[in-house]
Amino acid sequence: MPKIEVYRDALIELIGSGPLTDEQLENIFPCAKAELDEAADETGIMKVELNDTNRPDLWSTAGLARQLRIYQGGEHPSYPFFSDATTTKESAGRKIVVDPSVREIRPWVVGFVMTGAPVNEAVLKDLIQTQEKLTWNYGRKRKSIAMGLYRSDLITYPVHYRGADPGETRFVPLQMEQELSLREILRDHPKGQEYAHIVEDLPLFPLLEDDTGEILSFPPVINSAHLGAVQEGDSSLFVELTGTDLDSLLHAASIVACDAADLGYTVEPVEVEYPWETPWGRSFTVPYYFQAPQRAGIAQITALLGVDFQDDEILRALERMGIEAAAADGTVEIRVPPYRNDFLHPVDVVEDVMIGCGMDYFAPQMPRDFTMGRLTPLEEYSRRLKTLLVGLGFQEMVFNYLGSGKDYIEKLYPRDEWDQAYARTVQVDNPMSENYAFVRPSVIASLLQAESVSANAVYPHNVFEVGKVAEQYEPDPTGTRTLTNLGFLTADRGAGFNLVNSRVSAILYYMGHGYSLRECRDSRFIPGRAAEILLQGTDRAVGVFGELHPRVLDAWGIQMPCTAGEINLEGLLDHGGKNGGSV
Amino acid sequence: MVSDATLKNLHPLEVKTLLFYEDGATFDAPRMQVDLGLVLGQCNQALSWLEAKGFLRESQRRTDIFYERTDLGTEYAEKGTPVERMVRVLAEQGPLTLPDLAAAAGVENRDAGSSYGQLSKAGILAMDGEKRVRLEDPAAEPDRAIRQLLDRAAQAPLEHSQLSADEQKEIARHARKRGAATAMFKIIERESVSYELSETGTGVRTALRERGITGEEIGQVTPEMLRDGSWQGKTFREYGVDAPTSRLLPGRRNPYAEYLDSVKDKLVSLGFSEFDGPVVETEFWNSDALFMPQFHSARDIHDVYYVKTPRHAREIEEPYLSRVAEIHEKGGDTGSRGWGYHFDRDFTRRLILRSQGTVMSAKSLRDAEIPGKYFGILRCFRYDQVDATHLSDFYQTEGIVLGEDVNLRNLLGLLKMFAEELAGATEVRYVPGYFPFTEPSVEVHIKHPRLGWFELGGAGIFRPEVTKPMGVEVPVLAWGLGIDRMALMHLGLNDLRELFSSDIENVRLRRRQG
Repeated sequence: MPKIEVYRDALIELIGSGPLTDEQLENIFPCAKAELDEAADETGIMKVELNDTNRPDLWSTAGLARQLRIYQGGEHPSYPFFSDATTTKESAGRKIVVDPSVREIRPWVVGFVMTGAPVNEAVLKDLIQTQEKLTWNYGRKRKSIAMGLYRSDLITYPVHYRGADPGETRFVPLQMEQELSLREILRDHPKGQEYAHIVEDLPLFPLLEDDTGEILSFPPVINSAHLGAVQEGDSSLFVELTGTDLDSLLHAASIVACDAADLGYTVEPVEVEYPWETPWGRSFTVPYYFQAPQRAGIAQITALLGVDFQDDEILRALERMGIEAAAADGTVEIRVPPYRNDFLHPVDVVEDVMIGCGMDYFAPQMPRDFTMGRLTPLEEYSRRLKTLLVGLGFQEMVFNYLGSGKDYIEKLYPRDEWDQAYARTVQVDNPMSENYAFVRPSVIASLLQAESVSANAVYPHNVFEVGKVAEQYEPDPTGTRTLTNLGFLTADRGAGFNLVNSRVSAILYYMGHGYSLRECRDSRFIPGRAAEILLQGTDRAVGVFGELHPRVLDAWGIQMPCTAGEINLEGLLDHGGKNGGSV
Repeated sequence: MVSDATLKNLHPLEVKTLLFYEDGATFDAPRMQVDLGLVLGQCNQALSWLEAKGFLRESQRRTDIFYERTDLGTEYAEKGTPVERMVRVLAEQGPLTLPDLAAAAGVENRDAGSSYGQLSKAGILAMDGEKRVRLEDPAAEPDRAIRQLLDRAAQAPLEHSQLSADEQKEIARHARKRGAATAMFKIIERESVSYELSETGTGVRTALRERGITGEEIGQVTPEMLRDGSWQGKTFREYGVDAPTSRLLPGRRNPYAEYLDSVKDKLVSLGFSEFDGPVVETEFWNSDALFMPQFHSARDIHDVYYVKTPRHAREIEEPYLSRVAEIHEKGGDTGSRGWGYHFDRDFTRRLILRSQGTVMSAKSLRDAEIPGKYFGILRCFRYDQVDATHLSDFYQTEGIVLGEDVNLRNLLGLLKMFAEELAGATEVRYVPGYFPFTEPSVEVHIKHPRLGWFELGGAGIFRPEVTKPMGVEVPVLAWGLGIDRMALMHLGLNDLRELFSSDIENVRLRRRQG
């Protein structure tokens, strides 16, 4: 979720309803799904978190202020500079000419010019922040949207957008003093290194240059140190966006243009001319309003919000959100504001009605349907099992499920079995550290880890957990499965096979399972002191228990004899808790 | 004045000791063994308890000397001393040269020489003309005195004061304090302390007599007493019921798991059925089915754990895959315009560790009943640096409500009920929220009596893009609750890592607060 920094004074001024305390701000922030993250510091900058990732129009001081202002009943802005399918605004020779060579590499570019008072530090900072947030959060880290600002006065229009030879094309990038080729920029410039992955495999690299051939930038990587070095005091800026999705670019351009207008700048349209047919023609003028109207049935709004609205209540609510709408024949049709593009479905209109009404408008009411609640059979079963374990004197533990290969495998098995054990285990591809690189394959590993840090606890230690483990499992479409296992461990001077055997016997008796034991060779246990549990009528082992091998205890640094066991609950549950058996 | 507690805290051994000895009588542990018929250990226990309580006073401290048989002494006692052995050999074999005699008796030549000198002086042995040693007095019993001492010392060390003057002289020749390996006896010094009753002790004794306490009261009632009725007519020792107890290690549920169970029980009581599912999921169910576009920023490599082997599920169940893909691209038949991008059918099979409980909410839609209420408390995994407020795996509490007529007000009603029933909230506030899979979306903030205001959870109405591909045509309320803060509060903790503690002692001592 984007977090932005805003000058508190600038925000309050743009809201335009007089001084506001932080508390008052926090009371109106919800209409923009905003939260005050940090109050203003001594430089007057406060931090605000914006929760809606589909509302990039709110990620700037002007955009946030606009939503708050309108919601408070303030003036609805008008933005007369938008062209659309039927109207084309005057671009006075400002034009971007697109070369066919970009079609396969980074096809889209749009732009406009903002002029007015010389930009000051606050405006520049906000513009740069908008650029960052739009291209990072909304533009997938410049992959689908990159944005550049230039000193318009120095540009000779038309600007040309073309594919350039990575080795031959050279210019001085920002933060450098000498000319570099495009390829060298990717290698040597910090921004080049950061964004190289977007373009490095392309045959030609995107390039913007003016009509005299002076380079504006190498999008989406870096501006030129001359035309692209915007500073305080500049009063005419060319704003350009390139990317992979035209509507997203037009939307982002609209956001920046509306912000500029709200800050008092004049937006001067720029024509973009393509050598191929686009959804908006071969040539269109930016800012361009492309959004289609969104409709929502009043019955649907009423049903979802649970309130019998009059048409005009809905319209008033939408108006508070800055949305022009009309109602007819049981349907509301909205004109999507130019700075928004988050109406995918009628339910998106419903939400704006909700916010426009304010949450207090909706009286909480319990659902009327009667339903029967129940736990899963596995949960019911594991609760019975836990009660039994507690009765046998065991302390229940709750463990994390991620750990290291060392803990889950290497400390349990002899070296020649590691490969095999690893091959059964679910490993994380992108671990944050090797301490969280595997999903645990057994509960016993967790219990040993606990025992290894608990030598200070009074003995005997009797601990258990009922929890999940995961393993690779070919028959499942995911090639893995999650199991619910009971694991138990006893650490004590007298811990031995006979006692753990008695306990297993008691557990299975009371859970109602007949079973037999079969000696098993499991190298975690001492040979001849480990048994598999075979449920009556099956030859499938549902569990194993025995005396842990001193090699295992030594690997964990445990100096107390231990017995342990692990039983799969799904296996027991499938067996249905039938009676009978050897007890 | 002697208090009740003082008397009750007396052990029968203490009572018997106090009652037996009159003012001025001195006694020590050996004395008590005789007087009270106790074993030494009991006597020492009674003395140390009584002394610690100030009921006894030390009257005399002396050092007693004991002679303990050494290994050598034991050997001599069993096989005979060198002198005894030489005499025995001569009696059996007749005269021998001194070296032959030494060899036959198993004695060093040097020792044989000095022993011969000693015995010839006493007229027991003599040398004949052929330089052979001859037994002169077959009736003699040399080393008789030391032999007796060796034999007497077989059971217990000999006490110096119990020996006659001759014996004392004799044993002194064969005993050493240090380096006793070459001697028959080792000298041991033991301190022995005698006691007499202190003034307080006398007072306690008087009180015991007044109360008729004898130390013969019944302590532990035994099955035998009950069987033979021997308890009848006797009194029972009264215990100090406020005495400190010893620690037990009971079997116990983990309080965090118990708390989660209590939440589950509450949800079941509110009509919710539990769901559960695997920890390894596909991108499809974890995010695509929730209408999160594949380019969504929350789906970055840095938010989700990917599985290394296998990397991909073999397939995604149809018709869900085709429906979801179409909806992402163009909205399908949901009335949505979709995200307008090319849906990646390979990426959707990528295996990950479940990153949100909402996965199961979406999956459960496939065979959900209408009306229906479902919930799960599910382990989820996030690519996060582990600290006091972030874990790499943790529980999320999620649920859904399906019904022909369910709406936003019902959602708020449910959240209010959760706030009051699960969190004990005193005030509830709703604000608009954002989740990729719900529209509208709300957050619920609550005022908790102890924690103050905090965000309890998020909720909303599932987007049709989420419900329709699962075959659900009715509205679905979806909610998620953050219950960890309350869990921490219940357990008196403030670090999430503690909920999953491996420290057995720590977990044993943990309990619910309030």
